[in-house]
Amino acid sequence: MVHDTKYAGTKKELINTEIINNEVNYIDAADERFPDSLRMIEDPPRGLYYVGNIQLLKTPSASVVGSRKATEYGKWVSKSIGTRLGTEGVTVISGLAVGIDSYAHMGALKAEGKTIAVLGGGINVACPAPNRNLMREIIYADGLVISEYEPGVTPSRFTFPRRNRIISGLSSATVVVEAGFGSGSLITAEYAAKQGKNVYAVPGNITSQASLGCNKLIYDGAIPLIVIEDILNEFNIEIKKSQGFSKKLGHDELTVCEYVANSGETDIDHICVGTGMSPGKASGIVTVLEMKGVICTGMGKIFIAK
Amino acid sequence: MISKVFTAALNGIDAELIIVETDVSAGLPALNVVGLPGIEIREARERMRVAVHNMGVSFPARRVTVNLSPADTRKEGSHFDLPMAVGILGAMSLVPQQSLENTAFLGELSLDGSLKAIRGVLPLAEGILRNGIKNIVIPAENLREASLVEGVNLIPAGSLAEVSEVLRNPDFALELLERYSTKNSRKPKTPEKAFEKDFADVYGQENAKRALVIAAAGMHNIAMVGFPGSGKTMLASRLPGILPEMTYEEKLEVTKIYSIAGEISPDEPLMDKRPFRCPHHTISAAGLVGGGSRPRPGEISLSHNGVLFLDEFPEFTPSNLEMLRQPLESGEISICRAAGNYRFPADFMLVIAANPCRCGYYGDPMHNCTCTPSQIAGYRRHFSGPLLDRIDIQLEVMPVKYEELSCEAGISPDSGTMRASVSAARQVQEERFRGSGIKFNSSLAGSLLKKYCTPSPDGERLLEEAFRTLALSARARDRILRVSRTIADIEGDGQIGSAHIAEALSYRSLDKLYRG
Repeated sequence: MVHDTKYAGTKKELINTEIINNEVNYIDAADERFPDSLRMIEDPPRGLYYVGNIQLLKTPSASVVGSRKATEYGKWVSKSIGTRLGTEGVTVISGLAVGIDSYAHMGALKAEGKTIAVLGGGINVACPAPNRNLMREIIYADGLVISEYEPGVTPSRFTFPRRNRIISGLSSATVVVEAGFGSGSLITAEYAAKQGKNVYAVPGNITSQASLGCNKLIYDGAIPLIVIEDILNEFNIEIKKSQGFSKKLGHDELTVCEYVANSGETDIDHICVGTGMSPGKASGIVTVLEMKGVICTGMGKIFIAK
Repeated sequence: MISKVFTAALNGIDAELIIVETDVSAGLPALNVVGLPGIEIREARERMRVAVHNMGVSFPARRVTVNLSPADTRKEGSHFDLPMAVGILGAMSLVPQQSLENTAFLGELSLDGSLKAIRGVLPLAEGILRNGIKNIVIPAENLREASLVEGVNLIPAGSLAEVSEVLRNPDFALELLERYSTKNSRKPKTPEKAFEKDFADVYGQENAKRALVIAAAGMHNIAMVGFPGSGKTMLASRLPGILPEMTYEEKLEVTKIYSIAGEISPDEPLMDKRPFRCPHHTISAAGLVGGGSRPRPGEISLSHNGVLFLDEFPEFTPSNLEMLRQPLESGEISICRAAGNYRFPADFMLVIAANPCRCGYYGDPMHNCTCTPSQIAGYRRHFSGPLLDRIDIQLEVMPVKYEELSCEAGISPDSGTMRASVSAARQVQEERFRGSGIKFNSSLAGSLLKKYCTPSPDGERLLEEAFRTLALSARARDRILRVSRTIADIEGDGQIGSAHIAEALSYRSLDKLYRG
């Protein structure tokens, strides 16, 4: 039985006319397009409202989730995982929230890969307003936006945790990129573990508030994501060796690069002291290295990106 | 009979000559002031009446009419007391008419007849001299400030009685000058440190210091983003010290503005240090750009030739910030009021500081940020907008760790060395821009930008690459070129190379924040 119905919420709640024109469709759990993975979880959704390419539900997929308040490092890791998965043809599933979730989607889009956004409210209700554009991009890029709630339902503090079971249920593995204590992504990890899926957590500094939850997950038995490629093992994808960057870099660049690699996380002043360069020269080299994608910067901090 | 007395009225930072005409004639006893007097001048009638009475002259029980000419400009200020009182003495023939001919009067009267200090004596005296009047009678307290004007013959007086004495007996002027200049004589200047606030006191922060040198050298506006306590205010307050010393004309101009605002200290009348102003974010529009029914200079004019520091930048109301755009563009502010159109110079360097979010700890690994994502987005929205196009250097300031605080600053540059590199780069710019109408690299735009900021081929390649990989906006390109021009000037290089471009690219923290 297929119910293709057009829904419209009240004017105030509508995300934009495009979504309405793009009509929100519905499949129920008996539909053949409804994935088995979702049927098998505890408390499965009765059906799904969706916009976009519904076939994606049955593709190999991994969920990439994390806290809304992300550090530069977290954003970068999230985007890189998204890109890598997208390149390898793995669908990236996340919750379209600001922070880690958005960057995971953006990473997948950057690689022209497929991505699914699972919302915690009706599809036409403005989820975080700044992410409207991202939602549109996902739909245009042949992605999928789904929700178990009918159009017009306002997301609440109860609906977000519940949709997390769909995120973990759809995917064969879940990666938690950054999570503080009490982050919603820990709930996703819990669901994933209950559903018998592998949970990966990105380790962080033990001093970092943003990584407390992740480190706790590792302590509790989650698989630490040591390099981004680890997640590819889940899909039996052969890991191609990344080319070393050392060949392409000049002498000074290499000096800075080695210093950053050795100190883990540093800032310009430390590079100056450590390498004896002038601040002007050091910041110039850091910028060039950032452009080459060797290092990453944010809020004055500098770290290795590869 | 009629007497004519010269004085002046402020208009912006300039003054125009005013003639006070006084007539004492038969009629019902009255004292009328005409010629668009402000409220202080209308109240001056009572002060004048009592002061004249208290010097032992009975105020004429006749019809007294005072006209302030030209009659169509609005006049304000308490310095009209003295010229009006002298006018009455003249009209009563108590002082000789010819003594009033080449002399102007400024001063506020007390009820006992003594003279009090006034605001704006420097621009007033200058305006009077420009109109060809050499002798100026001023309150003794204003002597030091007024003596900054060259070529004027100042007569300081302590009371109305002394003024009338000097008018009857011109030789008395010398005695008065001697009396008040010894009384006001300059204390021997205590040998002070060359820099009141020295960058040597700032430990670490090499990167920030470098960026401030660049900013000072090219007069680039600068933004600092960092966690609370990372030293943003400390760095900013040391910035005026590394700017080159002002020329005498510049000092005089700044002093004039401060004189109008009434912020001159009687001991140090000449503003010889570049101003540093840091208004609180609750400041009103009029307080910031100047205003009032008779406009007074605002903070932006008070920081003319110096630094305007806006701490907690996102807390300022957006409409106030938008008002900074015109002065940042033109170096002056023009204020329109019912009383007329006023111009104040406002050529300042803008330094803004902000936390990464409202609670201040977003992105800090050691503290937990308590803001919600929408609060963070709302806070950052303040960074957008056209004002930021005028901020060439955007800097992240990291807190210094305890270990670094406790060790001595070894290699860290002090204000002296920093000022030397600033001055050298300023010299290069002076030669380059001679006759082109601009003074600093920060003013480069359009064809001039193209003319002076063409990078070397590998610089151009790097810039192109940066556009692709760092997702720069088009307006960021101009900014980066301007800054790299200054960096090249500091390094003494004629052409902008890739190293200069690379460094300039690193000062774009707000672009990063803005992108999310």
